[in-house]
Amino acid sequence: MSSAKIHASESTTSASVIRDNDVARGLPSSSSSEFPQMNENILPPSYYDRYFSDTAKRCLPNPIRKLLGVSRLPGMLSMFSGHPASETFPFRGVTLTVARPDTADRDRSSLVELDSALLEEALQYTDTGGIPTFVDWLYGLQERYHKRRHGDGEGWSLSVGCGGQDLLFKAFTCLLDEDDPILVEAPVYAGVVPIFRLLKCNTTEVATDADGIVADDLERILQNWPKDRPMPKLLYTVPYGCNPSGASATLERRLKVLKLAREYNFLIFEDDPYFYLYYGKSPRSPSYFQLEKEIPGSIGHVLRFDSFSKILSSGIRMGFVSGPTAITNAINLITSSSMLQPSGLTQAVTYTLLNHWGYEGYQQHVDYISSVYRRKRDLFVAAMQKHLTGLAEWSVPEAGLFVWFRLFLPPVPASAEGDSEDLIVRRALKEKVLALPGASFFANGRTSAYVRACFSVLAEEDFDEAMRRLAAVVKEVQFEAGYHSAGSRL
Amino acid sequence: MASKSSAAKREILSASYYEPFISDASKSQKPDLIRGLLPLESIPGMISILMGKPAPQTFPVTSISVNVRSPFDPTKETQLTIKDEALVEALQYTATKGISSLLNWVDRLQQIYHNRYSGDEGWGISVGTGSQDLLYKAFNALLNPGDPIFIEAPISTDAEGVRTADLRSMLESWPESRPRPRAIYTVPYGCNPSGTTASLERRKELLSLARQYHFLILEDDPYYYLYYGEQERPPSYFKLEAEDGHPVGQVLRFDSLSKILSAGLRIGFVSGPSRIVDAIALHTSSANLQTSSTAQAIAFAMLSHFGYEGFAKHTEYVSQYYRQKRDVFEAAMTKHLAGLVEWSTPVSGMFIWFKLKLRPTATSPEGDSAALIRERAVAKGVLALPGTAFFPNGQTSAYVRAAFSLLEPKDVDEAIRRLALVIKEYNAEGEQM
Repeated sequence: MSSAKIHASESTTSASVIRDNDVARGLPSSSSSEFPQMNENILPPSYYDRYFSDTAKRCLPNPIRKLLGVSRLPGMLSMFSGHPASETFPFRGVTLTVARPDTADRDRSSLVELDSALLEEALQYTDTGGIPTFVDWLYGLQERYHKRRHGDGEGWSLSVGCGGQDLLFKAFTCLLDEDDPILVEAPVYAGVVPIFRLLKCNTTEVATDADGIVADDLERILQNWPKDRPMPKLLYTVPYGCNPSGASATLERRLKVLKLAREYNFLIFEDDPYFYLYYGKSPRSPSYFQLEKEIPGSIGHVLRFDSFSKILSSGIRMGFVSGPTAITNAINLITSSSMLQPSGLTQAVTYTLLNHWGYEGYQQHVDYISSVYRRKRDLFVAAMQKHLTGLAEWSVPEAGLFVWFRLFLPPVPASAEGDSEDLIVRRALKEKVLALPGASFFANGRTSAYVRACFSVLAEEDFDEAMRRLAAVVKEVQFEAGYHSAGSRL
Repeated sequence: MASKSSAAKREILSASYYEPFISDASKSQKPDLIRGLLPLESIPGMISILMGKPAPQTFPVTSISVNVRSPFDPTKETQLTIKDEALVEALQYTATKGISSLLNWVDRLQQIYHNRYSGDEGWGISVGTGSQDLLYKAFNALLNPGDPIFIEAPISTDAEGVRTADLRSMLESWPESRPRPRAIYTVPYGCNPSGTTASLERRKELLSLARQYHFLILEDDPYYYLYYGEQERPPSYFKLEAEDGHPVGQVLRFDSLSKILSAGLRIGFVSGPSRIVDAIALHTSSANLQTSSTAQAIAFAMLSHFGYEGFAKHTEYVSQYYRQKRDVFEAAMTKHLAGLVEWSTPVSGMFIWFKLKLRPTATSPEGDSAALIRERAVAKGVLALPGTAFFPNGQTSAYVRAAFSLLEPKDVDEAIRRLALVIKEYNAEGEQM
């Protein structure tokens, strides 16, 4: 089979009778082809050819899809698509009870019924990239929170997926061949490390600190990049409440990263599941997705991943990706052969809830959940201060669910800082406290003295005991190694 | 997991049997530390700050209700409500392979319909985001780039299913130097596109070949419950492999709810050798974490409400619905297309595969249905799927696939009438030339 090149603005036949988001088996969104006069700052579709992996290039559109446009011509009697008969689906209606967004009292709720036309659409095979009504609502969200408008010829589109993870997996698959170089933060979200291993790409770690990615380190890495190596294709970053570090990138750092992306031609994978879980005192920094339009320069470097996992439900598996249409098209092609589409019914449930609240209600809800996590952070950090002072160091997170702290441990051969994994897996377990060793969070693997704690699920009354137990274990290790109990290192 | 009451334990293929089947990519995937530590959360007295789960109090949905039509009386509806613990489970991160209530329901389903017991037969179940998701992951788990695999295609099947005699000859004369395919992908009920349902005899032959030449059978069976044939239904491969005393574990079975409950729900299951199901689950853990537990909870609420009797009744209704559609379609074909097409009557699923009797062209001795549809049929307002899409190397074909699931009876008649006109006109031109 000959390989087919992905063309960014893959338009369909009879554009006048086809909506932007095409039905079942997913034709790619053709919106980018409807705006001939694009801003000269917007990277053209052909710019992305350099990024696509062999897998993306080999991913042929379903030949059946070519006929979709024809099937909808007026008067056409079509027997071609393999849809089951909706009449046989035994659903008669779906209703939700939905909490009011403006109160923590979860017992005050409203009854909301799924629109019957939406339900019918949701129960049948539907668009690869998401149910159009839902996608439109999400475009509205991106406009409100990132000042990016879909219809303005900015060359970007949005696709729904089974959580942010699903879209990340597909995006990496579209872009990375074996040995392709990428940049990742250290520490990095552990869930992408297996993907990098599977794709056998080449990861270069960039330092981070309490203010997020160390942009100067990124610059240094790029300036010193070996001339004979291909330049990195992308930077993967979690700029708000990074898992595990809890760090949120400052505006200054973001501006520098954006400048470097434009200068060195790499994509920014902005994975932002905690964007709406910010509870810091200072004004929040704009996303990369917003910045790339606001700061003069080329537009189209950012692929933004949103998730409802920490906002509405983690199990429902609902996320969306926004970025250059060439790439969202490629992601849709992978979806169309790997799982056809994200669940229509869960999309309909999500949309019904969001539409019921409206954008105002949504804001109230994210304010509420941010306050929940702020409170938990406060209580947890207080417990840490009480028990771990002198035994560990940490920065206080301003977003998300995690505290990342470095235990003061005796050195081991692999690391001058010590090894938290042994402590956690052997000793802490015996003390009946379970936390996550930091070693899992480095793409290139390393021994680490860091630990990640999640403060979202544990009962608040157990925070103190959790830290007491952990402190006891650290003291024990230090004592055995001959440290002073005040925690100063030899 | 239940085990059957009879004393004889079925022999199973050993775990090591599967190692040569597993792809390099799959072998390179390792479970991460978090997953390894997770079971430790259940130790009594354990305080855990391990998992990055969101706080359930922040989930704003407080109940989900589904109104379902009764399978016993279509005029009756029942409201099923998911709330409390079932709702928390529906909304929170859960186990990779699926929620236990749904897995147990499927486990019992496989007992009832295929006489298989997961307790002591070395196989397991995973839920997927449609069976397509599970197929994709199974292929990833079993195939390295360049690996050969057998697939059904219209050229290798006939009205009874895979042409096993041809397959046997092929395997017997397979060159030593060429690695043999390690799997066959087959849709044994209402195959897409041919509509064929494999006969018992062919199934037995294929199973015998699979054992002799050591390839797995990937049984993709989304139309299993859409059978409406007059004869007793043939057993699945999953059932068959356990009936004759040979060790079980040659079959990986894929079920789907897409043609039963809802296509858009995206719920399917894979049942088969644990080594492979585990490999699929490992892929899920990095690709999408899990199938939507909300969708699973809704599916389970409906299925458990139906019970197995209600499920049988509902699938019976669905089967008869498609049978009626088939009958209407065939009647129209008999009325308008006599002498112009040939076909075999499908006894399962929703596709009919028919060969147009077209005048030959320079490039197509049997005729080219794609050209006809593209150039003539569309202009006359009728569209079916040209068979060329289903042949390797894009060779031309006189075949056409039609789904009889979508059109109302009067539209079916009109569609077939138009097609007949197109064929007649086209063939007549040949005579004039």
